[in-house]
Amino acid sequence: MAHRILICDDAIFMRTMIADILTGAGYEIAGEAESGLQAVERYKALKPDLVTMDIVMPDMGGIDAVKAIIAVDPDAKILMCSAMGQQQLVVEAVQAGAKDFVVKPFQPARVLDAVKRLLGE
Amino acid sequence: MTDPRRARYVALFAAESRSLLASAQRSLSNWLDAPAEQGPAEEIFRALHTIKGMSASLGFDDLTAQVHEAETVLAEVRSGEKVADHRWLSSLEEILDRIAAGAEQVIAAEHADDGDRKNDGGGRKAQVVRVDLDRLDGLLEDLGALVTARQELERHAMRDGFSPMARSAVAMSRRLDALQDRIVHVRLAPLGEVLERLPSLVRDLARQLGKDVTVDISGEDLEVDRAILALLPEPLMHLLRNAVDHGIEAASERTAAGKRPTGRITVRARRERDSVVVELADDGRGIDREAVARRAAGKGLLEEGVALTDDGLLAILAKPGFSTSDKVSEISGRGVGLDTVVARLHDVGASLALTTVPGRGTSFSLRLPTRLGIVRALVASIGEERYVMPLTHVNELVAWEPGESRQEGGRTVIEVRGETLPVVDLRRLLQYRGGAAPERRPAVIFEAHGERIALLADQVQGQVDAVIQPMDRPVGLPRWITGATVLDDGHPALLLDLASVV
Repeated sequence: MAHRILICDDAIFMRTMIADILTGAGYEIAGEAESGLQAVERYKALKPDLVTMDIVMPDMGGIDAVKAIIAVDPDAKILMCSAMGQQQLVVEAVQAGAKDFVVKPFQPARVLDAVKRLLGE
Repeated sequence: MTDPRRARYVALFAAESRSLLASAQRSLSNWLDAPAEQGPAEEIFRALHTIKGMSASLGFDDLTAQVHEAETVLAEVRSGEKVADHRWLSSLEEILDRIAAGAEQVIAAEHADDGDRKNDGGGRKAQVVRVDLDRLDGLLEDLGALVTARQELERHAMRDGFSPMARSAVAMSRRLDALQDRIVHVRLAPLGEVLERLPSLVRDLARQLGKDVTVDISGEDLEVDRAILALLPEPLMHLLRNAVDHGIEAASERTAAGKRPTGRITVRARRERDSVVVELADDGRGIDREAVARRAAGKGLLEEGVALTDDGLLAILAKPGFSTSDKVSEISGRGVGLDTVVARLHDVGASLALTTVPGRGTSFSLRLPTRLGIVRALVASIGEERYVMPLTHVNELVAWEPGESRQEGGRTVIEVRGETLPVVDLRRLLQYRGGAAPERRPAVIFEAHGERIALLADQVQGQVDAVIQPMDRPVGLPRWITGATVLDDGHPALLLDLASVV
């Protein structure tokens, strides 16, 4: 069965682009979230195999969402997706429990690489 | 770019970046009201950051760099390094404007690249299609003809009783209702498309005039017909110019009057029955009634010593060529006059009202119809001539006999259940010269500008869905005739705008 992935980003644009990259490689989109709060709720409800997480979002940013998700599931596989200029926050996110990060603009190969690695494929 | 996917990304980018920039501009306008706040900085940052991510993903490198730079400027204040004062906020405003322009440029360039390539259609999201307004107008015209035909069919069906054909006619009518609703909906657009541009406009005006003004906008989600929306910028600009130039006082004058030094303009839209009302209010000095009255008297427009009501004041101000300002400033001197504004509003069935309080400010209400084209209307006649009037203004019908009216304060009035209402005779209004009026006549009680008025007709024939056709206005046509329609028997009737009859 295909791995199920939750996409968290406040821009429909980004969610669409990430979904295109992932479905193109045969992954299933478990769901989408447009804020940190939604990300945490959807994680609990959908139990996805992997989460892609934006950092700058309204109603709880990505880093607090990572902390909240790791608190309920220490093994959660979270891939941070951030725009340039947020390096400091990426470090913080990794300390909070995120497993890897990719930087926008996304290169599909780079995104898929990180996803495969995290899923142990 | 031949990737059909890219077209979809660009469309999403266009929609999201426009909406994010509009919200950033709103945040900035709140920030200008309270420069010590940190919230707006975060909101603007989030918007810019999201735009940057999208822009970078599409390879819009110049725009990405531009947004990145704006983030850096914003960082100075977010980190507490710098304090957001007015000058800094103004420069941020310019930066946002430049980003908006930059975004429009790359979107336009992409569309030019695109040619007429078809959308891939396989999107997971709702697709947005741009349609030429002319085509929508064509659709409305066809629908109009259908609605007229349907009324004729319904008339025959009614005589026919419950035959299969009559039942089919009723079923078709219902589908037509639904279709009519859908077409009217397709034409709707949010007021925000016009209102969101106002704050930066007012700030520009204020800067030029050396005044300090903040703007508050609300109700931008309300929708009106696109054709009406397209007419709005001009009157709003006119009223805003006047508010900033003549309404809002200089900071020193405001302080001396015990007001806060920064002037405030609010633009609030709200729904009222079938209309949307846009209220534009300033907290300035108000309009000087006496000065207007004196000037009007000097021009022979008004008798000496007459006190002006708010409606009277508006009527005078809307007279062609009337202006109270002795020195026409560069700002308000340009553009169209209030007379033109009022006339254009009337043309689409909209109206304007005014309230002003000395020292407290002035408020203009624009009442806009939400939909064009088809109105539920009452058919009334004088002799053989028939007229239609939109039901939105009509409250009730009462029977009237000559003995029931009396003179009071120079006008004819009647009592309707204890309420004294002014009477307007449609015969006199139309200068009708045909046969005599019937003894007993119906009075259409309608509401205009907060007042109830009785309009006497010879006969009332019922209700119709009137399909309103715009018409070339012959010279001398009264302004309260705003359109024409074809009734179900094929005869034409003129549309009366009840709000401007009085």
